[in-house]
Amino acid sequence: RYVRQLQRLQLLFSPTAADARGARQFVEEAAQDFARQHPDVVLYVSPHSGPGPAPVLRAEYLNGTVRDELIASKTSEEIVQLATKLANQSGLDIIRIRKPFHTDNPSIQGQWHPLTNKPSILTVQGPRLQPQ
Amino acid sequence: PAMAARLLLRATRPLLAGAGRGTGLGTAFSTAPPPEKKRWLRAYQELQRLQAPPQRRSEKPNWDYHAEIQAFSHRVQENFALDLLKTAFVNPCYIESEEARRRQLGLDKDAVALQLQDNTGLAERGLRFARAYLAQCFEGAYPELPAKGIEALVNFLTSRELVSYVAQNLSIQDLALCRDFPAPPDVLQRTFLAVIGALLESSGPERTGIFVRDFFIPQLIGKDLFEIWEVVNPMGLLLEELTKRNISAPEPRITRQLGVSTVLPVYFVGLYCDRKMLAEGPGETLLAAEEEAARVALRKLYGYTENRRPWDYSKPKQGLAAEKAISSN
Repeated sequence: RYVRQLQRLQLLFSPTAADARGARQFVEEAAQDFARQHPDVVLYVSPHSGPGPAPVLRAEYLNGTVRDELIASKTSEEIVQLATKLANQSGLDIIRIRKPFHTDNPSIQGQWHPLTNKPSILTVQGPRLQPQ
Repeated sequence: PAMAARLLLRATRPLLAGAGRGTGLGTAFSTAPPPEKKRWLRAYQELQRLQAPPQRRSEKPNWDYHAEIQAFSHRVQENFALDLLKTAFVNPCYIESEEARRRQLGLDKDAVALQLQDNTGLAERGLRFARAYLAQCFEGAYPELPAKGIEALVNFLTSRELVSYVAQNLSIQDLALCRDFPAPPDVLQRTFLAVIGALLESSGPERTGIFVRDFFIPQLIGKDLFEIWEVVNPMGLLLEELTKRNISAPEPRITRQLGVSTVLPVYFVGLYCDRKMLAEGPGETLLAAEEEAARVALRKLYGYTENRRPWDYSKPKQGLAAEKAISSN
C-alpha cells in the first residue's frame, strides 16, 4: 500500500517581518485545507517573534532527511504548491539519476553465457533414422 | 639635546611596540571599521551543534504526540483505537526508567506508580497472529514446500533485523517510548508487533491480515529460497522428495564443461531421472556443481523459481483465511 513519505512540515516564520507576508496568508487561509487534505502529514506552525532568520518551510521524511525551503517573498498559492510538491516527494537525496531506466528482470529467457547454445556432451549423434 | 632625543626615542619605541590590540591601534588606524568582538561565535555554535549528542525527536521543538499518532494511523491507512495504539508504543523499559526517575525526585508511593500498561501482551498476540497468518499464506501459495521451509521463511520475516528495518522506515522509532536512544532493534521489533496486536484488537483479523501481507511479504522480493533457508545436504533432501513422489533416484552426469585444466573451471552437472533431465546446475568443482543442480531441482519441485507468478495482492473475497489463523492459535 502507499505510505506517504513526508512525516511533518514545520512552518517557521516571523509575525512582523515583511517577507513573511505570504507565510502569514498561507497560515490564515490555506493551512487548514492543506492539513485536511493530507491527514498523514503533521503541520506545525511556529511563529518566532522579533527579527529572526528568514521564513522557512522544513520538511522531515520517514528516512530521516530534513529539507529546508525558503518561503520569503512567496505568495500563498506558491507556498501551497511547494507544500504539495514536498508532500509527494520521498526523502531520497536529490542527485543526478545516472540512468532513467531500471528493470528487476534484465533477461526473460536467461542471460547468455558461452555455453548457452552449445550442445551438451551427452547428446548422441547417431545415423539419421530412415523413414520406413 | 642629543641625550634628550635618545631618551625620547627610547621612550617612544616601547610605546609603539607595546601598543598591540586596544587603544594604541585604534589611534593608529582610526579610519578602518572596528573589528567584531565575537567573530568566533558562529564557528563555536556550529561546532557545538555538530558535537551535541543525538536527541530523540520528542525532545526537539515542535512535537505533538497525539497529532503524530493520528498521522501514523492515517499514513498506514488503518483505523486504530487510539488508546490501544498508545499502549502499544509503551515499552516496559520506559515504565521502569520513569518510575526510577520519579522515585529519585522523591514523590510518594502512589505518585510513583504510573497508570500505564506496557506492550508485552499486545506484542505476543501480534507475533502469534503474524506467524500463523504468514505460515498460512505460504502453505496456500507453495503447497509443495515442507514444514521446515515454511518455518524458515516465517522466521526470516519475523526476525529482528527485518522487523526493525520496516519499523524504522515507518517512523516507529520516533513514537516508541523507551529508555535508550536510539531505540535498540528488539525494542522496535516488540513495538511493531504490538502495533499489529493493537490493530488486531481494533479492526479484526481480516484487516490485520491484509496489513501483515502488505508490509512483510514485499521483503521477500528478489530473495532466493536457499538464502533464507539453510539446507546442509540438498542431495539428501532431493532424494527424500523424489521417493515421496515415487520417482527413481537421479543420475548425475556432466553436461558441459569449460576450462578443465585452468584455475577457474566451470562444470554443468545435470540430474537425470529415467533418462529425462530434472535440473542442471553450474559449479566450480564437480561436487559443487552437483550440489547446485540438487538445489535447482529442489527449487523447481517446490515452485520457488525466479520465474514463478508474483504474489497476489488483490483484495480477498472471503475472510475464511484469517479466521482460520485465529482459530488455530
